[in-house]
Amino acid sequence: MPPQAALVNLSPAELSFLRSALSQTPPLRLDVTKGPRDFRSMRAECDVLPSANGSARIALEDGTEALVGVKAEVDTTPQRPVLGEQEHVVTNNGDEDSSANGKGRNGWIEMSVQVPGFRDDDALPVFLASMLSDSLLAGGQLKDRLYINTRFHWKLYIDILLLSPPLSYPLGLLSMATHLALLSTHLPSLKSEKDEDPLFDDDWAAASPLYPRSSSKPLTARDMPPVIILAIAVGPNIIFDPAKEELAVADAVLAVACTTSGGSGAGAKIVSIRTIDPPSHLTPPAVPNSMNSATGGTAPDSSAQALTMREMLATSGVWTPPRGGMKRGLVSQVTKMVVEKGGVAEEVIGALAGIEVG
Amino acid sequence: MATNTDRRRNNPPSGGTHAPVFARTLREPEYLQTLRPTRTRGPNELRRIFLQTSIIPSASGSAYLEIPSSSANSSSTLIPPTSSLKITASIQGPKPLPRSAPFSPSLLLTTTVKFAPFATRHRRGYIRDNTERDLGVHLETALRAVIIGERWPKSGVEVVVTILEGDEDGWWGDAHASGSGWGLLNVLAGCITVASAAITDAGIDCVDMVCGGVAAIIRNPDSRDEEDLVRVLDPCPAEHKQVVAACAVGYLASRDEVTEIWMKGDVGPDPDALIEGATHASVGSLAVVKEVLLEALQAKFQGQIESSQGAQKRKAQDVEMTG
Repeated sequence: MPPQAALVNLSPAELSFLRSALSQTPPLRLDVTKGPRDFRSMRAECDVLPSANGSARIALEDGTEALVGVKAEVDTTPQRPVLGEQEHVVTNNGDEDSSANGKGRNGWIEMSVQVPGFRDDDALPVFLASMLSDSLLAGGQLKDRLYINTRFHWKLYIDILLLSPPLSYPLGLLSMATHLALLSTHLPSLKSEKDEDPLFDDDWAAASPLYPRSSSKPLTARDMPPVIILAIAVGPNIIFDPAKEELAVADAVLAVACTTSGGSGAGAKIVSIRTIDPPSHLTPPAVPNSMNSATGGTAPDSSAQALTMREMLATSGVWTPPRGGMKRGLVSQVTKMVVEKGGVAEEVIGALAGIEVG
Repeated sequence: MATNTDRRRNNPPSGGTHAPVFARTLREPEYLQTLRPTRTRGPNELRRIFLQTSIIPSASGSAYLEIPSSSANSSSTLIPPTSSLKITASIQGPKPLPRSAPFSPSLLLTTTVKFAPFATRHRRGYIRDNTERDLGVHLETALRAVIIGERWPKSGVEVVVTILEGDEDGWWGDAHASGSGWGLLNVLAGCITVASAAITDAGIDCVDMVCGGVAAIIRNPDSRDEEDLVRVLDPCPAEHKQVVAACAVGYLASRDEVTEIWMKGDVGPDPDALIEGATHASVGSLAVVKEVLLEALQAKFQGQIESSQGAQKRKAQDVEMTG
């Protein structure tokens, strides 16, 4: 049986109340001081682990805490079979074209997520790891940076540890922690040339950052690691960074991974989108007064009659788990709110860049 | 992962085995490029689909989907240029939960997606690995939203999908293609379509038929410009040298809703065109699914009418024996 991470024990009446509050215009959130685009406050720090190439720790105000360590190792690249006489031809080609563009492999980045109370083959950690690695691999710039020469490459291990039990859906938190850890990651600088066995400078001060920082460029034009933003739809409203209880009444949940748009300098670009199964599908349906003989109604005689009576109270405000998916218009509305100039993505990436790195 | 190795069987090397490399491809590098398959369909043209329901008698619902390889097999090489997709799905249930299970107010859906060990170029083990689990999560998301679960309290249903042959991540000659994961999107779309047909075959209440479709943005192979991008429906990753972004959706056509989106790659600021392309592709597969289900239903009722008529006839022919 797959354990549901974010399942909350709310009664149908509470769910119904919460949903009607969230579907008002403007929505009234669980924390009433927050608007639909506000994120929960957090404490963050970088470079906390001395033995890792880069690391970060983020703690949310509700007690959820994540620690990310990035370690890099030099690894050999498997060679394709070549005939003996062609050996030098291949190396010549390598010398001509020394740029690393398009040479990175997806297998060079390995990600592991550990969530307390879950085995590492449960659905939640597997899903979190693949969503995070999808977004990291999407652009292709990161894996190209791990290329050393034709025979060697860096292998990047990103290990994510959720220190607290998953009090709310941890995807956004883990992605922000990974973002900070990658920003603080440094790789030793290379002293050897071309196809020699790699030799590195042992001076840590000379190490080059994995994501180069140049303060002259504006933030949006810089190359930044992706960040995943969680959005829920409740009725017509779109709410970002939902709490656990808000997630329990959502019609649909969307995770949008985006990064800075690079050259053009306006807004952000999307690297990956996924829908997440909202936990509201598993909530118990309410029994209306009209079907309950204890409150003056008449209990249905047969299961067929019960079905008909259930279908007829669709809009009466009695809690029924939502059905169906997400309207296509809603998807494009969410992505537009995330990527537009001054949108949620730019805000989040800007805020994370403001944290003192190193 | 060390915990995932199978210690009970005598397994082949864990790194997988390679397709044989022939001397000619090494001596003449240009020869290899002539084997590269190209897309012969139009950008909006889908591959043909074969679907059949009720193939496993002991399951309450089942279906088989096949998308055959689009390029013709050439006789000059032993290696097939493109792969095809073959998936079976079977449904067990709805059946009551075991007594020890906690109360559940709605139908508990369990999805298991497994590649057969021989389904891809690299051998898959018997124990599900992370990509297979992840596909299972995707399929569950796609199906959970369409099944009206509150009508079956305290029961469970298992969707078991076996991939007999999976789409490849790219052409076998491109070293960078393996492990890129583009073929998984096609596999997911196929899984959604075939599982949905099997659920309909099992007679489980749904709000609509969910169908899978894939669209991709690729670099135009005909032009020199790096920025010249084309959108294609139902991409076969082996036929495209550079896939920039791709998207698989689970689409409810009559409600115009998506239950599942899996998009990855360098999408840019506006993903709408890609999602729209994927929904067009899923409408194409919906047409096939509808026809097949209608045929299956007709055949079922035809059979019932005939058998009931036959029974009446037999009764009339029975001679009452009197002593």
